[in-house]
Amino acid sequence: MTDFIKFLLLFILSLNQSHAAAVLDSITARLVKTPITQGNFQQEKRLKILRKPLLSTGLFTYHQSKGVIWKTLTPIPSLLLVNDTRLMTGQDEQAVPAAFGKVFKAMLGGDLKVLSEGFDISGTNQKTTWQLQLKPKDELLKKIISTLLLSGDNELRHLELQETGGNLTYINFVNITHPDHLSPEQQADFEHLSP
Amino acid sequence: MMLVVGISGIRLLTKNWLETGFLALLPVTEQQPEIARAIAQHNDQLNRKVIWLTGATSSQTAIVQARQLKQQLQQSGLFSTLLLELPQQQYSKQYQQLFPYRYQLLDAQTQLTLDKNPQELLSQNLETLYSPMGQMTAADLEHDPLLIFSRYFNAQHPLKLSLEQGIVMLHDADKFWALLLTDLTDQHLQLDKLETLLALVNKTTTNVQEAGGELMVTGMPIFTAYGADSAKQEISTVGVGSSLGVIVLLLLTFRSLRPLLLSSLAIGCGLLAAWVVSILVFGKIHIITLVFGASLIGVADDYALHFVCDSFGAKNWRPREGLKYIFPGLLIGLLTNLLSYAGLVFSPFPGLQEVALFSAIGLLVAWLTVVLLFPLLLTGFKPDHAPVILKLTHYWQQHWPVWLLKNKRWLIPVLLVFLAGGLWQVKPRDDVRLLQSAPTALLAITDKIKQLLPVSQENQFFLVSGHDQREWYLNEQQLLRRLNALTQQHKLTQYRGLGDYWPDEQSQQQNYQRLDTALYQSGLLKHYMTELGFSKQAINSELAQFSAAKNRTLSLPEWLATADEEKQQLWLGCDASRCLSRVTLIGITDLPALSDLQNLQGVTWVDQVEQLSSLFARYRLSISVLLIAAYLLVYGGLGLKFGWRNALMITAVPVLAALVALAMLGWCNQLFSLFNLFALLLVLGIGVDDAIFFFMADHSTDDATTEDRRASTSLAVTLSALTTLLAFGLLAASSTEIVHAFGFTVAAGILTALVFSPLVGYKAQNSQI
Repeated sequence: MTDFIKFLLLFILSLNQSHAAAVLDSITARLVKTPITQGNFQQEKRLKILRKPLLSTGLFTYHQSKGVIWKTLTPIPSLLLVNDTRLMTGQDEQAVPAAFGKVFKAMLGGDLKVLSEGFDISGTNQKTTWQLQLKPKDELLKKIISTLLLSGDNELRHLELQETGGNLTYINFVNITHPDHLSPEQQADFEHLSP
Repeated sequence: MMLVVGISGIRLLTKNWLETGFLALLPVTEQQPEIARAIAQHNDQLNRKVIWLTGATSSQTAIVQARQLKQQLQQSGLFSTLLLELPQQQYSKQYQQLFPYRYQLLDAQTQLTLDKNPQELLSQNLETLYSPMGQMTAADLEHDPLLIFSRYFNAQHPLKLSLEQGIVMLHDADKFWALLLTDLTDQHLQLDKLETLLALVNKTTTNVQEAGGELMVTGMPIFTAYGADSAKQEISTVGVGSSLGVIVLLLLTFRSLRPLLLSSLAIGCGLLAAWVVSILVFGKIHIITLVFGASLIGVADDYALHFVCDSFGAKNWRPREGLKYIFPGLLIGLLTNLLSYAGLVFSPFPGLQEVALFSAIGLLVAWLTVVLLFPLLLTGFKPDHAPVILKLTHYWQQHWPVWLLKNKRWLIPVLLVFLAGGLWQVKPRDDVRLLQSAPTALLAITDKIKQLLPVSQENQFFLVSGHDQREWYLNEQQLLRRLNALTQQHKLTQYRGLGDYWPDEQSQQQNYQRLDTALYQSGLLKHYMTELGFSKQAINSELAQFSAAKNRTLSLPEWLATADEEKQQLWLGCDASRCLSRVTLIGITDLPALSDLQNLQGVTWVDQVEQLSSLFARYRLSISVLLIAAYLLVYGGLGLKFGWRNALMITAVPVLAALVALAMLGWCNQLFSLFNLFALLLVLGIGVDDAIFFFMADHSTDDATTEDRRASTSLAVTLSALTTLLAFGLLAASSTEIVHAFGFTVAAGILTALVFSPLVGYKAQNSQI
């Protein structure tokens, strides 16, 4: 009996590769594809060293070619701008691995193809929801992130980031809409990112 | 005598006799050894760096290619370091070594924030912590709740580089570029190594291209390699061309090898003696001396040719009698040339003194060879043919002056207009960058790399000094503050000064005090940590660590031990009287704004390009004056010997030649710099010789007729002009602008001297008949 289970497991694992690709394709097919996605976020960061979580809320905007605006409103207003190659905060431009900005943008945009370049992906696609588990390939990224968990329906709804050091970040996305145009304010923010 | 010279020459060869640094060209009073040392150190870094970028449409491919490239370069053995993956271990080691001094090592921005509004620092921390991106910083929170050491550490590595697999990745509109930094093992690459380097660049470029990518390479060694390569090609084409030309010309004229061998012997002896004596006198000679001194010794060619050509001038020519006739001409020729170099000796520039001595000795020895050895070596030399060229030159010297004189009514005004117009357009350019000829493709790549990656140090830098370490530190701080302002005005991309990384002991104590007052005493820290959710234990631990660190100081040598090589080399050390450091610059867009900062106390602006260019300008002015003096001296000397009218006539030839050469420079918009003046000095020497020999031909007293003498003189003048043109005029074909300008000036001057010299003595001859 145990041999049978072993065999079954091996079989599933060997199928894993093509199976994952199929899951990715089917999930990608489910996601709403528009150039612009925006909405509210609720973020909870659990740092090992701190006894209470860091809670923050705000607005996010995803633009297919321009990148991401992450506007924290509470408890400390701040602005984070990210595209494939740059990452800017209200203080200055930050030194980050390019993979970081790229991944962040790809996550919010549901760009699973970009994600699969940098991560080993496994996942399930159920009737109402889907879930993906991502593990970084890049050695540098591995030192920081152990796992990314993404889940949703026709939108990305929930994101969980598990750090190698044990810190955790949960983000919920709500009130998601797909406007046709950026607001002038959003446009102005993206201006900062263009060199 | 030559034996003695030869033996001492062999002994000198083992010495380090060639000087190439430009500072050695400065008047002794202006040479500052500490600047020379700083420049040497600066150049040592620049002269070893080669930057490679492999480009592809995906970053993965670019990385794969960069890895292959690295392997290939490693195998070549040319490089001492090859940096592809950034040394993460080195960073974490540095982090650990410096971490205990975190309360002392504050970066400039943090100091400012603490002084102005400490609350702001805490808000910035919260921003970072609440950001979805703050993972790396948040990981430090446990050891460094204020994140002050993260700030310091990030400020030390200000470039926002994206890393992929630890490799610096750049990107432009259509490509990703992986960066590979290499240092050559040896900063002074031998020629064959430069060739290997160039071959390696070409080979790897092809390899990467075949794999569908693109390779960009730049760095000083690449420029040097290209320069050496093109110089070598030019010298070999010009050299082969001119040697062939001279050989064919002399063989056709004399149908004998002897004249060729003898003129080579004369010039060879001159060069050897000049070289040996100059090194004995000066210890070392500069490469500029060698190049121009050797060119000037080319005048010696004249002596040999005049001697040999005289064999056509008399019916039963024997060398000893021939010498009797041409000896006065040769002697006056030598004296005028020596006279024209005399002025150079009195210039304050060591380079010119060297050139003067070098050329004078060379000429003297070549002359002695001609006068003492030729009568022996030419024994039995009597060409019994009348070469075609002799007939040609004879015909030319008979009819050309007639035509010139007949048409002088319109020729003179045309000449005057030509001269005035040309001279009006001559504009001096002394930019030292003209010394270098780089292919446009390489310049384009270098520009592109500069845009992608502002890490290439500029040639210019600051030297900061102080009587002791404290004064040095304060002086440098003042400079760094100004530089910081300039970067904010986008006049400069970046700068590197020690003071930005290492606060001196006094400042370290001030930093500790700053933190103490702003955050620890005020209770802000306690509040901040409590709010964030740190445990009471963590808060107490932090307070304990802070008070334990109170008297820590990090000395400069200790800090330097943790730094990378580039930063270590900023420090030039202290001696009994002062401390010195360099501040290097990256991405200068406003040069004057930077050079203005040299007024700050203890700050010296070192701009090698500008300094060298202005040195060239000063040499140019100084030589201009000396050149005029030389012409006047020659005129005076000839005047005493031949009378003022005749002297005027003789001197008119080189003067006209020089003027026409200058005017041609103007009309053709050619470079006019120091180097053209050396060419004019050569023109003076040859022009005077030409004129004197024509003059002497008309005042000969032996049995040969004046007409024959004029014929053989015109042959000698023509041959000397042609050989000079072949030897130096061909340099006009060079792609390096100054070499081209030198060749162009010589060519224009020599041709003009050739055109006008038959006029000398022509009238006299008419009146005699």
